[in-house]
Amino acid sequence: MSGKSIRISRRLLVATALAAPVLQSRVARASGEVIVRTPGGVYDDIMRRHVYDPFTRETGITVRPVAATTAKLFAMFRANNVELDLIDTGNGQLITLERMGALAPIAYDSWRWSKPEDITPELRKRTQVANFVYCTVLAYNKETFANGHPNSWAEFWDAGRFPGPRMLADMAAGSPNLEFALLADSVPKNQIYPIDIDRALRSLSRIRPHIRRFWDTGALSAQMLSDREVVLGSIWNGRLQTLIDRNAPLAYTWNEHMIQVQALGIFKDAANVAGAQRLIDFMMQPHVQAGYAKELIYGPTNEKAFSLLSPEEIARMPGGERSRQTGFYQDVSWWEDNRDRVNRAWSRWVMR
Amino acid sequence: MPLGRLPAWLLLAPALLLLIGVFLVPIGWFLVASIMELGTPAEIWEEVDAVLFSGAVAGALINTNWIGLVVTLLVLVIGYPVSYALSRAKGVAFTLILLCIVLPYFTSTIVRTYAWMVLLGRNGLINQVLLGTGLISEPLNLLYNRTGVVIGMTYVLLPYMVLTLYAAMKAVDMRLLQAAEGMGATPLQVFLRVFAPLTLHGVIAGVLITFILAIGFFVTPALMGGPSDIMIAMLIEREVELTQNWPAAAIMTVVLLTVTLILYGLYSRFSGALEGGAKP
Repeated sequence: MSGKSIRISRRLLVATALAAPVLQSRVARASGEVIVRTPGGVYDDIMRRHVYDPFTRETGITVRPVAATTAKLFAMFRANNVELDLIDTGNGQLITLERMGALAPIAYDSWRWSKPEDITPELRKRTQVANFVYCTVLAYNKETFANGHPNSWAEFWDAGRFPGPRMLADMAAGSPNLEFALLADSVPKNQIYPIDIDRALRSLSRIRPHIRRFWDTGALSAQMLSDREVVLGSIWNGRLQTLIDRNAPLAYTWNEHMIQVQALGIFKDAANVAGAQRLIDFMMQPHVQAGYAKELIYGPTNEKAFSLLSPEEIARMPGGERSRQTGFYQDVSWWEDNRDRVNRAWSRWVMR
Repeated sequence: MPLGRLPAWLLLAPALLLLIGVFLVPIGWFLVASIMELGTPAEIWEEVDAVLFSGAVAGALINTNWIGLVVTLLVLVIGYPVSYALSRAKGVAFTLILLCIVLPYFTSTIVRTYAWMVLLGRNGLINQVLLGTGLISEPLNLLYNRTGVVIGMTYVLLPYMVLTLYAAMKAVDMRLLQAAEGMGATPLQVFLRVFAPLTLHGVIAGVLITFILAIGFFVTPALMGGPSDIMIAMLIEREVELTQNWPAAAIMTVVLLTVTLILYGLYSRFSGALEGGAKP
């Protein structure tokens, strides 16, 4: 059955079943296992090789990755029935969970493998610490734009000079590309936040006739670029690099890239808080980070990890010095405060 | 004791208990708890007002009903002749038609939707063939717009219509058609004055079940639609997952559920008429 009413109810059902404490018997779990929420897929394989398996060899603690949507995490906490220990997700979701009082402080004091001071200061917070940074870049088709390509969001908006179907992120991707809309409207990089939603949407209206589709998942954005459904677009750098490495005629500019953060947090009521703290400590080591960052093509957060990477590898990754020069950090606390408002404004705007 | 002697409620009890326990209670609990979270009745009304009368929900409801209507009509137009062929086919032909209708449904909706995307894309198979034969000079926009949603949903919903119509058509007594012919009716008259009225209740039941399923759609419009092709289920999902505004999601769910239940009421009346209607 494909009706979403059925699908939704199933999901609500999961949430509500989780929320019914009477039905749940807390299964006592040995401290020999850490359960971690991850984005899933290839990500799990890479992390298993570079983090989970070495961690098990070192400590005897096994690691079990599981999938869970934000709504499910939310439901678990509200039902006082936390089924996992460590949360590996976008830093925005962790801010929401922190505001609900769901997270334990990161035990920086008891780190033995990593040094807290090596972690980029902006990425080291009380209840969350970043495990990598990724970014949204401006990508283009090299064949379509053989004689000069757009090099900024203002030029992306210039469909007269650079014609062709384009894509940008949808609300359903988490946040639409309001930041790029403002940059295209000549707002300086350091004055993007707080976002003037109306101005951003007005700017988006100008490019909208040339937008083939707003993408909601990383998979879709990659598919549209590789199928030449679009010849220009915003896309996460790791997804794009994977296509380029498979010889797709695509390229991108580092100019005005938006840095986003993946981070770790621990449920304060988790069955194995201590094990989760140790796993974070282990994951933050320079050589561990260098290993997975290289494969994910995302940037390490331990500054010492960069010295273990070759210049060619660093050239492919966000983070570090270049990002400070040409990129900007997405302000997730602004997004957490305003997502509801943006969501409604966005829905009205797209349906006009 | 033969099963036939058992009272109906006893036979239904396991299914009913399961539905009540794992469906009705949790969903009721979710709706009530989420809405109660808002506070006093005045505050609840304020949020209901804000959700229902924001342009987004009204727009999504219009989209949902319009897409549902177009898809249902298309499914009916395509499904009616197929069902007729199926109801008259025997042996291998019957099995083949049935397999063609049902077989694709053994794969998931997402896989089938992606397959459509490969066919309908700007550089997809259909556009390449049309461009190659010179029938068109610019690729057609078949995907990421309303056309894409309608094509995808029509395809997914077709079997529900075909199987419902099949049941009604199979029950038609063919001797009635022969009698009409014998009395000098043209084939068109036979169809319009005998066959169509006898299968009308099947059409109504098929239309209602297709429409009910269509207005709850999520995956197909999300993958194949354009930015403005937002259906109500997509808005609900966004409130649950993205903004974690569960009260708003609950309010929209109540709206969708109400529409669905009203239609279901109509459906059960017409499907009740199915047994009576098909008799000569």
